[in-house]
Amino acid sequence: MDRPIAYDKLARENRFVRMRARDVGELRVEQGLAPFPDLASPESIRERVHGIMVGELQAMEGAGRSVYDFPDAPWEFTMDMARQVWDESRHVEIYLALIDHLGGYAGEFPETTILWRCACAEDAAARVAGVNRGLEGLACDVFAQLIHIAKKIGDPVIERAVDFVLADEITHVRMGSRWLNELTRDDPERRRRAVEFQDSIDERFNLGGARRDGAPEEVGISIAKDARRLAGFTDEEIERLIKSTQRSPVY
Amino acid sequence: MTSSPLAGEFSVELSGRVIRHYRYAEERMMRTMGGWIALTAELPAKLVLGRHVWDCAQHADLWGRRLPELRAAAQKSEPPNEAFVRFMDLLERPEDRDQTVERLVGVYRVLKPHLVAAYERHLERANPVYEPPTRRILERVIPEERRHVAAGLQVIARLGESPRVAEWTRRLADALAEAGGVTGDGTSPALVTIDVDGVNTAGDLVALDSAFDVTKVEPDLRGRVEAHGRALIEGDAAGIAADVAPDARDAVLGAYARLPRGANATEIVGCARLGAQRVVKTRLSGPPGSVVIQQRWQRDGAAWRVVAADVVGAERPA
Repeated sequence: MDRPIAYDKLARENRFVRMRARDVGELRVEQGLAPFPDLASPESIRERVHGIMVGELQAMEGAGRSVYDFPDAPWEFTMDMARQVWDESRHVEIYLALIDHLGGYAGEFPETTILWRCACAEDAAARVAGVNRGLEGLACDVFAQLIHIAKKIGDPVIERAVDFVLADEITHVRMGSRWLNELTRDDPERRRRAVEFQDSIDERFNLGGARRDGAPEEVGISIAKDARRLAGFTDEEIERLIKSTQRSPVY
Repeated sequence: MTSSPLAGEFSVELSGRVIRHYRYAEERMMRTMGGWIALTAELPAKLVLGRHVWDCAQHADLWGRRLPELRAAAQKSEPPNEAFVRFMDLLERPEDRDQTVERLVGVYRVLKPHLVAAYERHLERANPVYEPPTRRILERVIPEERRHVAAGLQVIARLGESPRVAEWTRRLADALAEAGGVTGDGTSPALVTIDVDGVNTAGDLVALDSAFDVTKVEPDLRGRVEAHGRALIEGDAAGIAADVAPDARDAVLGAYARLPRGANATEIVGCARLGAQRVVKTRLSGPPGSVVIQQRWQRDGAAWRVVAADVVGAERPA
């Protein structure tokens, strides 16, 4: 098996429709929709949950690749990545069940592979910075907001299940912080490149201004400052992220 | 000596060596399964691999932690011989999209049952007075591996068998036999069937029966897409063109021109919502194999029209 594999080798059942993120955003905008589903209607919640489900699939696949791609990394790194594979596989199961709970089906909305592409960084430090800190940080934002909305609409099933997923994601961010530090110890240039990669992912996933600092019901994706602090992001990092959201179109 | 409760087959050195072999098998299998997840399309197979990677990592870790207690370096893997490395290389080889069953068979029908047999044999022989630390690991690992086998076999059964898979199983078993198994001494058989009756696999299997339900497609769209698929099979140029939006005609017909000939059946295999548009996947199949077309459909008054199309997949016959 190649290390890493080509982006386009990511395999899906035929029931999943894959499209470029840019195309999906543009086609939504052409129809007068927001480029990224908000949480304002049952259908948009279902679409958001479906997007999370495929994101969890790609997170599982990415963590699995990290287990395979870096045989010379410390054993504890491999253990953390293997644990993450298991966690993400349970998250997929949870989100499949939530899609069912919301009356949807797997494949109901197009899948974009932008997350997967981020999970294909060739350097282990860049990968954990980008995936565990960048993408799992995004997951903290998305899940904290979803829990808030679930409370508001009185859906204890979503609220409880997603809260457990959020707890796992916080753990994954911590793993990312640990391994970013350990893998780049005594190598500031490698660390700089890894942090730069994470920043580029943060910018990309500001989703054309959808992610912002603000109340969960007022912005597309609300930055979950409390969850991020719990996950080990510093106040300086959170402020830097908020600033980056003010200048990053994606579509 | 043999009747003494302190009699035993394993020296400290031998025990350490065999454990390094176990760790090699568990670690390499775990890494391979992790790498395969992205290459595996079928959801139940993808998720069963995802479930088991962490268990296998823990097995490798348990063996690796035991090593320093046996005067050996911690967390060291060591294959028993070069032939076992070749066996693992062979097991890892299937990575094409249509080789999911080969991947699963290598792990769940060949390697894991062999490991269960080897572990059980070791447990029978490990001295209960001075080898309880090893025995405890075996007592944890054996039922987990047995559960993995039971779950993996259920997924394989759902995906279906073929002569190609039977031949692959034989090749792997031969390679494992040539290596003398995980311990390299031929004490455990290469191809074993283990009893998995009554093993609870509920926590290992996800989405086992989930499949695309064509009734999710709006009836009028479904009828149009199916008629369009038949027009493609029959080469009905006028019928095809009538379904395509005029300003998309060149691009869509250009995509259709790349379709291979010989299809005799059409089936909707997926449908996603994109605002008011629908992205529908249709499989055209026949003796040469099948192709999957992804079409974007949009309402034009009362009718649905294709506004974009692309060939997104090809499958060879089983």
